[in-house]
Amino acid sequence: MTDRIRLAILGCGAITRSEHIPAVNAHPGVELVALVDTDTSRANALIQSRGLACKAVADYRNLFGQVDALINALPNHLHVGSNLDCLGAGVHVLCEKPLAITAAEARSCTEFAEQKNLVLAVGMNRRFAASHPLLKLVIAEGLLGNLQSYDFQYGGAFDWRSASGFYFERSKAGGGALVDFGVHMLDSVIDWFGPVTAFDYQDDDWGSGIEANLFLDVKHAGKFGDVQGHLRLSRTFQLPNRLLVQGSAASAEISVQDPEVVVIHREIAGVPVSQTLRLENFAGTSSYWRQLDNFVQSVRNHTKPEVDGWQAVRVLELIESCYANKKRIAEPWSEIDSKPRSIEDHKVSAPTTNEARA
Amino acid sequence: MNWRNETIFVTGATGFIGGRVCERLIQAGGPRVRTLVHGMHRAPRIARMPVELCPGDLQDKESLRRALRDAKIVIHCGLGPASTVVRGTENILQVALAAGVQRFVHISTAAVYGITPLPGSETEDAPLRHTGDPYCDNKAAAEKVVLDYGKRGLPVVILRPSIVWGPYSAWSTRLIEDLRAGHVAFIDAGRGACNTTYVDNLIDAMLLGVENDAALNQVFLITDGERITWGDFIRAHVALLAAPPEVQEMTRAEIEASRGKKSGMVMGSVKAMARVARSKPFREMLLQIPLTEAAMKKAWNWVGSMPPEKRERMRARFGVKRAATRSANSKFIPDEVTEATQSTTVFFSIEKARKTLGYQPRVQFTDGMKRVEQWLRYAAYL
Repeated sequence: MTDRIRLAILGCGAITRSEHIPAVNAHPGVELVALVDTDTSRANALIQSRGLACKAVADYRNLFGQVDALINALPNHLHVGSNLDCLGAGVHVLCEKPLAITAAEARSCTEFAEQKNLVLAVGMNRRFAASHPLLKLVIAEGLLGNLQSYDFQYGGAFDWRSASGFYFERSKAGGGALVDFGVHMLDSVIDWFGPVTAFDYQDDDWGSGIEANLFLDVKHAGKFGDVQGHLRLSRTFQLPNRLLVQGSAASAEISVQDPEVVVIHREIAGVPVSQTLRLENFAGTSSYWRQLDNFVQSVRNHTKPEVDGWQAVRVLELIESCYANKKRIAEPWSEIDSKPRSIEDHKVSAPTTNEARA
Repeated sequence: MNWRNETIFVTGATGFIGGRVCERLIQAGGPRVRTLVHGMHRAPRIARMPVELCPGDLQDKESLRRALRDAKIVIHCGLGPASTVVRGTENILQVALAAGVQRFVHISTAAVYGITPLPGSETEDAPLRHTGDPYCDNKAAAEKVVLDYGKRGLPVVILRPSIVWGPYSAWSTRLIEDLRAGHVAFIDAGRGACNTTYVDNLIDAMLLGVENDAALNQVFLITDGERITWGDFIRAHVALLAAPPEVQEMTRAEIEASRGKKSGMVMGSVKAMARVARSKPFREMLLQIPLTEAAMKKAWNWVGSMPPEKRERMRARFGVKRAATRSANSKFIPDEVTEATQSTTVFFSIEKARKTLGYQPRVQFTDGMKRVEQWLRYAAYL
């Protein structure tokens, strides 16, 4: 391996444009060798518009032997095949979430990476926001007292301009809001509070579709004892977009919009106060840069990445259990006799008094 | 014709009305539902259901041909920029005629009579006048095109709903936000005719229009058939708030006097839209407009020609607060569009729809408000 890791990015969609290219450009430890897209004109356009010194390639297999690692940002359903191909060719992989459509596929990727002694990292960038390790510290140091519960809500009008539009096909996306942003939320809460031992899941899939809204109540049994959690996720409604962790002595808040800080709410002599905590000397410009850096260090030092395949497997197993046991969210406002009255169904009535007046 | 075993093509399916059309068709259990989606990211509501999402654009006939295919019924709720309403409608009509569509239900609007319908506009046979409002005038022009295709053999039905409300409607969500912001007034004691049209009542009328041959080539005004005033509508929403605000009363004369020479409403509107034009989402939206129309002047005209509710939604989407004009004594002054919308004295008649379609609005105001309240709570507005 040369001084810099030779890297390619698979897929030139929204996440590559907005996050991965800036992170790669800002990282001194990698050399971007190629952008891969079956539509090479799209890759070339991106190379030109960003002034990148790399080539456009239609088939990632043509890069084997020329790259050490790659970022897999293809649509979800293409992850497993390309991951296995690349790992098989001796290439380390940082795969966008979800690692695969199913837990079984994620497991096969993870086991194969272990067998090949290669790094398989999963793109859970929220882990690399400062608030994630900060909250871990806050909990571990007992600043909240005994952990009791949390409320985690994230929602707004869906505005992800996916280039391929795969998001709304279950066979390609693996699911809806739960697979999309839910993987971040579940990955984080499991890392903070321990494994989920019980859950109750509801979503608004009407059948053969994909959910836009979900409610998930969970119970964790980790080293901090039992913690009850309530998660709500929406692709249609604006929600508070924050995590609120309630402890016996204080509560901690993380805003999705400002994931670099943790705000502690407590009382001093009965007076409510808040305190904003931030990590000093936290490296990097973005969570994606830190994620890339962690991947690079893992490749260089042959160490486990912050988020490995097994952690992705456990989240996907939980998601599959949720889908298998889901209830439909009640929508009483929409319940109406679906058959409209037809002219044969009723007699035409006389106009109302009001109408007659009109 | 019987729609229950047909393929139904819905335009505007990612919008408030079209989204509910899809829900109702799926609830009915029979028809296959195919939708035209312009902007896939707007599809989460309908992607929950077993409907076919077909990317396309009313301005792109080839995309319409690909999407429509063998559908025999079209429910045309699609809109797009006001300046393209006529062309977009003609495109889908042309494709539908060529494809042998057996029912084309065109969702027009009672705004073809203007934002403030004048007395004498109560029935379908009232003449349409040029209003100067691009939305109203273009929707009126689109109706003429639809009727023309009716003469050419396409079985068409035109519905003119008024204030379409219900879950997901901006009429309720914006009103809640405006009430919280203190940006609501009872204009002339709230006596203006609201002409509510609960979305499920409108959809009943659409399906009756499909079923009933007597509807062909006809235009129908559709409302809830109740004399709900804007005062009723506003008060019903005030009652939903945990901390109900005091809504002041203003006469139109007071509003005009407070506005003075500054023409605060017009300037307020222009300033607000200027902020929209500078915003990043707006600039991104420009990329969706065909190149020839992407010139700033045309885009500006497009914004200006939006129907008031759409303009409000756009402002809300871009986080642009409506310019809250206030009088010298700090009273909130409603903007021009709101004043115009809430000032009509005309209650539309639905007699023709009752007699010809057998239309009976089955969701009355009280029931509709219960449903809206349930939805507003679920959607975290309350």
